[in-house]
Amino acid sequence: MSNRSIPPWWTLDNAAKIFPSTGSAHDSKVFRFVCELREPVEPQLLQRALDRTVERFPIYRSVMKRGWFWYYLEDSPLPAQVRREELPPCCPIYPSVRRSLLFRVLYYRRRISRTGALNFLCALVYEYLLLRCPEELPQPVPVLPYDASPAQQQADSFQKYYEKPKGRSMGRSPAAYQIRRERLPRNHLAILEGRMPLDQVLACARARGVTLTELMTAIFLRAIHAGMRVRDRKKPVVITIPVNLRSYFPSESARNFFATINAGYDFSRGEDSLEAVLKEVRRSFRENLTAERMRERMNALCALEHSVPLRLVPLPLKDVILRIANKIAAQGVTASFSNVGKVSMPREMEKLIHLFSVFACAGMLQACACSFGGVYVVSFASPYRACETERVFFRELARLGIEVVLTTNLPPETEVR
Amino acid sequence: MLYCEKCGVYLSGSMERCPLCQGAVTGQPEEDAYPPLPETARPYGLTVRLAGLLTVAALTVCAAVNYCFPEGGWWFLFVAAGLGSAWLLTGVALWKRRNPMKAIAWLLAVVPALVLAWDWRTGFMGWSINFVLPCFIPCMQLAAAGAARILRLRPADYLLYLSICILAGFFPLIPLFCGALWMIYPSVVCAGISAISLSALLLFRGPALKAEIIRRGHL
Repeated sequence: MSNRSIPPWWTLDNAAKIFPSTGSAHDSKVFRFVCELREPVEPQLLQRALDRTVERFPIYRSVMKRGWFWYYLEDSPLPAQVRREELPPCCPIYPSVRRSLLFRVLYYRRRISRTGALNFLCALVYEYLLLRCPEELPQPVPVLPYDASPAQQQADSFQKYYEKPKGRSMGRSPAAYQIRRERLPRNHLAILEGRMPLDQVLACARARGVTLTELMTAIFLRAIHAGMRVRDRKKPVVITIPVNLRSYFPSESARNFFATINAGYDFSRGEDSLEAVLKEVRRSFRENLTAERMRERMNALCALEHSVPLRLVPLPLKDVILRIANKIAAQGVTASFSNVGKVSMPREMEKLIHLFSVFACAGMLQACACSFGGVYVVSFASPYRACETERVFFRELARLGIEVVLTTNLPPETEVR
Repeated sequence: MLYCEKCGVYLSGSMERCPLCQGAVTGQPEEDAYPPLPETARPYGLTVRLAGLLTVAALTVCAAVNYCFPEGGWWFLFVAAGLGSAWLLTGVALWKRRNPMKAIAWLLAVVPALVLAWDWRTGFMGWSINFVLPCFIPCMQLAAAGAARILRLRPADYLLYLSICILAGFFPLIPLFCGALWMIYPSVVCAGISAISLSALLLFRGPALKAEIIRRGHL
């Protein structure tokens, strides 16, 4: 039987199983990775680079389909095409009016954006720069740090490391403060991207004896608190932070492999100085970020997928159940902060790249951070019209002596409060 | 580069005011990193709303006329049921417009239900089970096979829906064997076509169909 008759297919990993059921127009679950080059992007070369990259990542050349019990990925002959950026950031990929691959590659002036995974964008930028500036790169050509085989990329690491949890489940977290503000029309996202020198932020964190993520989380918590109404202040502010499980369990998978931890602060009980919040954030990070706790969280997440009664529920009903469960879980969280970490590219290519940035649409205020070549970028993606939290956040960084350069996608009239 | 004194941050782009505080900025503007937010149009939005308004207007006029001149019975209910059926069919077709094969499979469920309901509410003369259904189902089978061919779908994209259409062709056998039909030929022909199509499907596309069922049903 030819490949055309029986295409390859893949089950979704644990985290991805929940996304299609709970995604919506205002919570598209779309991640976007951006690379800003030094020179304007040439679309034809980018297309050639994309064709080469897709060959290296067969799992991304797939469409999402509905089974009777779960969604799954199926190999697709649809071509991957680069497009000039015109759509609003992070608008839904699935479902869409036309069946499409699960990523978009966009370009605008000096920027290349790729919705989906970072490794793919790095490989795409790598291929593009090989085509665009061959004379500026030494021979032999530099090698990309990420070189997992298709089998490694396609591995579902949740399945590999899952053990049936013994004893207690995670339980329900207490209700957290929910930001209630006027939303932007048509489910648009306001992007506020602040880039800053990595050495300045690192020095700032080290002077306080904390990590960069801990520092940013604490400033974020305080920024949310500043915008709270007095009557809301009895509820804790909780930020959820995805943790890359690859740091705890070896994996080269190109698929999801993360669990989340929550860092919260109850401003009605403690003082609101940066030091006090930092102390609490550091305590909760140290407590949660151990291999043992991560294993517990991962197993608890996977237990849902392994429960036989839930597996037997038909997909339309599962959609409803997961949507309700997602709403309940969202009550325990105020906002989200993902630190993607350091982006690695071959050293010879670093001078051709200005920055990497990342943001995501999560239906709530979401901040993402990544660093590349001495530049640390924190991007806020917000569904709200007013950027109260972002203002306090970036002003606080400026107050700490950090040089922040802001970029936004919002025209001035949208921001009027 | 621009600078906002109030916030103490630099701004990259061509904004006239600081995006954080709306205050004045100083310095030289640069090119924007993002295109302006587009005005996304709603497909079908206006057409569907206009059609909705027209439907309500037509219903209201019919109900008013029928209320003023009730001699001919409550004929306005037929108008309402007719418009309701039309909306249901259009709704299904629009809802599944992304996947024509799925739309055909859904119409194969909705149309027979509507036809049976109309026949039943108008005195059950049996025209639905004697003629309409045994003729409609092979038409949909043909439509499914035609759509798969014209759209050049891969077996994985059409096999399941085509199988549903073919299996539906055996449905007219139920009233036939129950002796509820006074005109048996359309139903016999429909079941015959379906039997031949099913064997062809299993003989030529059996393994692909099996793979599709395994994929769709994975736990």
